[in-house]
Amino acid sequence: MLSEERRTENLTLSGRVSGRLANPDVRDEFGLETLDMSMGPQHPAMHGLLRLILELDGETVVRCDPVMGYLHRSKEKISENRMYPAVIPITDRIDYMNNIAMEYGYVLAVEKLLDAEIPPRADAIRALMNEFGRIMSHIPSIGFLLLELGAFTPILYAFRERERIQSLFEAVTGARMMFHYIRIGGVKADLPEDIPEKMWEYIEGLEQRLQPDFVDLIEGNEIFIARTRGIGKLTQEKAVEMGLTGPPLRCTGVEFDVRKHYPYGWYKNLDFEVITDTEGDVEASYRVRLGEVKQSIRMIKQILENLPEGEVMADLGRRIRPAEGDGIGRVESARGEYAVHVVSDGSDTPYRVHYRTPCTVNMQLLQEIVPGHYLPDIMPIMGLIDPVSGAWDK
Amino acid sequence: MAVTLPEGDLNGRLERYLEGFRNRHGLEESEVEANIVRLVVKPEILPAVLATAKERLGVLHLSFITVVDRVESFELTYELLDLRGGQVRVKTTVEGEEPVIDSITGIYPTANWHEREAYDMFGIAFRGHPDLRRLYMWQDHFDHHPLLKSFEISTKRTFENLR
Amino acid sequence: MSLDILNQEPFRFLLSVGVILFLVLNLAAVFTMAERKVSAYIQLRYGPNRVGPRGLLQPAADVFKLFTKENLSPGRADIWIFLAAPIAMFIPAALVWLVVPFAPNAVVADLNVAIVFFIAVTSIGALGLIMAGYGSRSSFSLLGALRGAAQMISYEVPLILSLLGVIMLSGSLSLVDVVEAQSGGFWHWYFLPQLPMFVVFYISGLAEARRVPFDLPEGESEIVGGFMVEYSGMTWGLIQAAEFASMGLISAITVTLFLGGWQPPFEFLDLGNFNWIWFGLKTALLVFTFQWIRWSVPRLRMDQLMDLGWKVLVPVCLVWLFVTAGLMLLLPSVF
Repeated sequence: MLSEERRTENLTLSGRVSGRLANPDVRDEFGLETLDMSMGPQHPAMHGLLRLILELDGETVVRCDPVMGYLHRSKEKISENRMYPAVIPITDRIDYMNNIAMEYGYVLAVEKLLDAEIPPRADAIRALMNEFGRIMSHIPSIGFLLLELGAFTPILYAFRERERIQSLFEAVTGARMMFHYIRIGGVKADLPEDIPEKMWEYIEGLEQRLQPDFVDLIEGNEIFIARTRGIGKLTQEKAVEMGLTGPPLRCTGVEFDVRKHYPYGWYKNLDFEVITDTEGDVEASYRVRLGEVKQSIRMIKQILENLPEGEVMADLGRRIRPAEGDGIGRVESARGEYAVHVVSDGSDTPYRVHYRTPCTVNMQLLQEIVPGHYLPDIMPIMGLIDPVSGAWDK
Repeated sequence: MAVTLPEGDLNGRLERYLEGFRNRHGLEESEVEANIVRLVVKPEILPAVLATAKERLGVLHLSFITVVDRVESFELTYELLDLRGGQVRVKTTVEGEEPVIDSITGIYPTANWHEREAYDMFGIAFRGHPDLRRLYMWQDHFDHHPLLKSFEISTKRTFENLR
Repeated sequence: MSLDILNQEPFRFLLSVGVILFLVLNLAAVFTMAERKVSAYIQLRYGPNRVGPRGLLQPAADVFKLFTKENLSPGRADIWIFLAAPIAMFIPAALVWLVVPFAPNAVVADLNVAIVFFIAVTSIGALGLIMAGYGSRSSFSLLGALRGAAQMISYEVPLILSLLGVIMLSGSLSLVDVVEAQSGGFWHWYFLPQLPMFVVFYISGLAEARRVPFDLPEGESEIVGGFMVEYSGMTWGLIQAAEFASMGLISAITVTLFLGGWQPPFEFLDLGNFNWIWFGLKTALLVFTFQWIRWSVPRLRMDQLMDLGWKVLVPVCLVWLFVTAGLMLLLPSVF
């Protein structure tokens, strides 16, 4: 498909090597060279399968080139060849840390195509599960950040919380990870009778554990502060320019949250704050994530207090066949703005599904801010972006 | 170094956007529908329209670029957000087997990887892109663009006879 | 023929060297087990509990696994340096145990320059580390080795400086003399008059033993094991043994110099020849604190590590050295 001319052009583009040194005088004096290093795809700190081609001058990174695609499963092509409801399990596997939001975005897009009316109880349950999903994703994110800095314990505390939420999810959806719970027109099933009570109990417990396990242990640590303060410093202009969303954007102080500014579903009825910070470094992103967990707890309490009664599934007929057109569903996933663009040609299968995952976009930041940092600073910067392999590769 | 985000009433803002686009580029087909400013533009003036959006109207965020393969042509959707409720959806159509369109990385630097993805999946070349390599697929020994409709997959099923 | 012959040279020396080697090799296994159990209890887990009663045979299973594993080496590695490195790391760590006094009469070699011996021999460990990193021919190993070399050399300085106070107070370079000078209850131990030095020695000891937060040469999450990334099987096992031996060694030397060695905390608790129990208890306690720190804090960065060493620890040592000297001059009756 590529003509010969264009291919050579591409090769010259990809073959760039900077040869820059952080301190060129030293190189001239001693005849030093930079060290090329390929970090990943099999590397414990690469959040799955990311490969970074690094050029190092001592410990200082002078070039960072992310290579992706090691977990590319062609979600978009698969989605084109499946019927509308059958795409939902595919979306589950995009961001496997926060899969409820992935389903939600796709379902919203299809519902926009169908102009469907969703029963209020279904909307409330969706928001409830989505907020649990956010906690389930943010708390391990904090743990992973610490894991990459060399502290092993917080990740296990984080996974204890995740496991407990997974048990709740298992009771509701029947699965521990790939839920396939949010369906076009509502949700798969109503909450079991005792579950709202158990959720309430869990949330109360989490509120109490948050302080000792995730604040005192982490923020009270000098080394954590030394490793994260001022690392990956972002200005607001830079963050907006790079198209960041989610905690990396909010930690610079730009107040943008899809739930607040492009409200969807039950979020119109909820009272919550958009957590922002002013610093724009790794420590700030940690604080933003922690604040969002607290906000999620607040929202879950509100939803559980006023859970509307009624059906959980709208009657959309057996066969979902939207009219020609396009629908965009946009939700705030744990990592930022997640949008699904579904184009329909009037048949049973979508003509085109495009997933805008926040991780892909946020990861552009690596090329921009890693050069100039030390090699070990890549890990907290990865923690700032907190990408998930499945989501950036689709 | 704070970013100024647009303020005020959403509907008034959307009207302002529409006026801005019409005054500068004379887009007759444009309309405001369900909080979205929909524009259909020619590929030649696309960078100019997006530059207007960013620099004059303050629509700062490029959400995504969707490419749809319409077999003979490619439909590109540029989704812009002003981060305060307003959306601008710019559509353009490029023709041809090996389509070329101007890159907008100079206007929205975040478009860098969106355009690389579009190039990887559809073979659309972006003129003026600083680093147009494949994003997901193999860099060499792979000559296909998998999201094209002409790229057949072996397990393709049709659901014509299903009831 | 009685057992007395064992008490004569060279039999006594050979026998005790054998005992020490046995002890050091087993120490690695015991510490691995302890490490895993301690980490498990810190992290609300059970830890190994399948092999043997309460998982106590796990180290044996680990060692068996290591012995049966193939020793892989990278294709372009400098094979002799690659294979010699674990030995060069293990021997110094084991050798220093010869001068550690376990109990009143239980020391293999009561050198009159034991402290100098300790300093000299532990420094050789850095050599093994550089060999491992250089011989592996991997950029990760090389980075680890460079970090290790820089770290070990910088932390030698505060380590040695912090010893000087003890040497001044005890007036001897022999470890046995140092312990005997601390007799008569825990208020005579040197960690009280030398508290800043004790803290500095402990921190530099952590760095010398390459434990978190100073495990930069390994840097598990960034350079995936650093200098030992290419090792497998028993060569890797030997490096691990060296790590644990040096961790035990640093604890033992800290106990000897600052915590009164075999001396009991109160005189009425004197156990005579069984005073090695006190020594063991104190060493185990220190090892436990090492593990506690390891599972609680993140890792420092290279420049922060250097800053800490040169800008904090060395000045503290120098200041306290003058304070000690001044006090010894002004109050000769107390010191």
